[in-house]
Amino acid sequence: MEKGILEMVGGEIIGIVSPVSICMLLVVLLVHTLTPHGSSTSVATIAMMIYNEQPNDSFVEKFKGGLLNAIVFVCIVMLVTFVLVGLFYFRFTKCLRVYMGFSAFTVLAWMGGIVAVELIQFFSIPIDIITFAICLVNFASVGVMAVFFCRMPIVLIQGYLVVIGMLVAFWFTKLPEWTTWILLVAMAIYDIVAVLAPGGPLNMLVELAIARDEDIPALIYEARPVLPRQISGPPPMSSSPTPARTRRWSNRRAPRNPGVGRGNSGSNSALDNLRTSNGQPTSLITEPPLAPEVGIIGSRLVSSTGDAGMLNSISTVVAGHQATESNVDEDTVPLVSHGTNNSSTAAALDGMESGMRFQGSDQGGSESEDEGLGLGVSGAVKLGLGDFIFYSVLVGRAAMYDLMTVYACYLAIIGGLGATLILLAVWRRALPALPISITLGVVFYFLTRLILDPFVVDLATHLVVF
Amino acid sequence: MEGEHVRTTADMEWRRQTDVSNVGSQWPTIDGPLGVYNEEAVKLAKSFYYGGFLLLPVLWFMNCFYFWPVLQHHEAEPLIRCYVVKSETTCMFFSVVLLGWALIFAFGGEHIFGSYWKHLAIYNIDDKYGPA
Repeated sequence: MEKGILEMVGGEIIGIVSPVSICMLLVVLLVHTLTPHGSSTSVATIAMMIYNEQPNDSFVEKFKGGLLNAIVFVCIVMLVTFVLVGLFYFRFTKCLRVYMGFSAFTVLAWMGGIVAVELIQFFSIPIDIITFAICLVNFASVGVMAVFFCRMPIVLIQGYLVVIGMLVAFWFTKLPEWTTWILLVAMAIYDIVAVLAPGGPLNMLVELAIARDEDIPALIYEARPVLPRQISGPPPMSSSPTPARTRRWSNRRAPRNPGVGRGNSGSNSALDNLRTSNGQPTSLITEPPLAPEVGIIGSRLVSSTGDAGMLNSISTVVAGHQATESNVDEDTVPLVSHGTNNSSTAAALDGMESGMRFQGSDQGGSESEDEGLGLGVSGAVKLGLGDFIFYSVLVGRAAMYDLMTVYACYLAIIGGLGATLILLAVWRRALPALPISITLGVVFYFLTRLILDPFVVDLATHLVVF
Repeated sequence: MEGEHVRTTADMEWRRQTDVSNVGSQWPTIDGPLGVYNEEAVKLAKSFYYGGFLLLPVLWFMNCFYFWPVLQHHEAEPLIRCYVVKSETTCMFFSVVLLGWALIFAFGGEHIFGSYWKHLAIYNIDDKYGPA
């Protein structure tokens, strides 16, 4: 049964919009429950190194201070991204992976622990420390293993990525208001530059990854691919290379066309198979073009987790305490997480994968027209975790004002995301996911707050209802 | 009649082929074709089982969850199944112990523990040692 274009594309879009929505919903719930009017304790983070906003500063002071904070933050993020690109270029993948695993563990255990304790206090759940410690350590360990090291259920990996995004976003909502908004706008601008400009770090990272046919080392959410055809069962144990008809998830460079014989043994032989078996690629109407896997790559590929790492090491919840010098030193190493498929570990985990490499784009051009929307480049849209985080920060900050702004910002962000996905289908290269959504979100927030809110509240208080 | 019969069997055949869930002993994991299988699955099941003894009992639960089709069908791959069944028993045992302890703590309160209850509860500890 042929699947229509709408079914394929709709599935892809839902696969990305759902986790973004879930992450935003969780952050709004947390903010609404725990800090409905902003954080009372000032959290010393790297984003507030220069200016610590006080409630009774003047408008100009707050704006200037927020701007300085944002510029410093963006500079540090840029530095960290360049360090990551350098490490990736010189193939220090092991060290990157270990560090990222450690940082993810810290995010899940420490930030997760703090959020859990706050929730326990809020709901007065009588749980004892032993049970709590066991649960937390298990949760964090399995999270790190799921995202970086082991094969785990896909739904679990996706769930843990959403949870990591939620925790970091919740942490960011503790920043003061002006700093948050200016920071969001600054990150959107940085995103455009980093991904689209030729010298931008993320552009270089993507090109390196494509040239080497490896995975980008970062926390990336990858939606489950929409399977075009079902395979009846696993191959028998004796055959060592995986036969062509298998489709893998996430970096297991799935042959996106299970119907065509694409062996695991190497790209060239697979191409020959393709050419000789059919003469022409007839059955590729339902198959995505053989272009390298690119999806939307947010600018926070590196920095989000990098920020988390920095935040972990230097932010303290205790009010007023500043970070110690020793802590600050270790935060400059990028907290970039490796994708689950690093070439070295992929070979270790699964020797069958080593031959699987994605084809070059020489065949991509001819059948791209057949595909229609090209969203099915790899059958799975990828979104960097930083995008999750900054969308959720925007919505969380909107939740601190009123739920009306939450709805407006949510719609704006989802609209922006949809527009970015369409652009992705048109341009077929790595795109920044932040700018459109953040711009729309910020505009909608201020319009709602300044214009819509007084209007609706006045109407409601005068008992005129819509 | 004949045509209908043929159509329904063809229908069922198509249904079986496009059925996403793992019927029979086809794919050992709940992810189906996207998950692990064959040697990798055996290695993973074994490492989950032994890893659970390293103070990570949730790995046993993960073993049962990930290899759920193997648990469901008794004739599934025996290599994987032995580890998954062992994980299932240890997971049940551990969760009974932990749940029992947590419930006793939650509902027993001061009656059973006396003054120790105050020392063990999370929110008290957080009040004492946490930020102001």
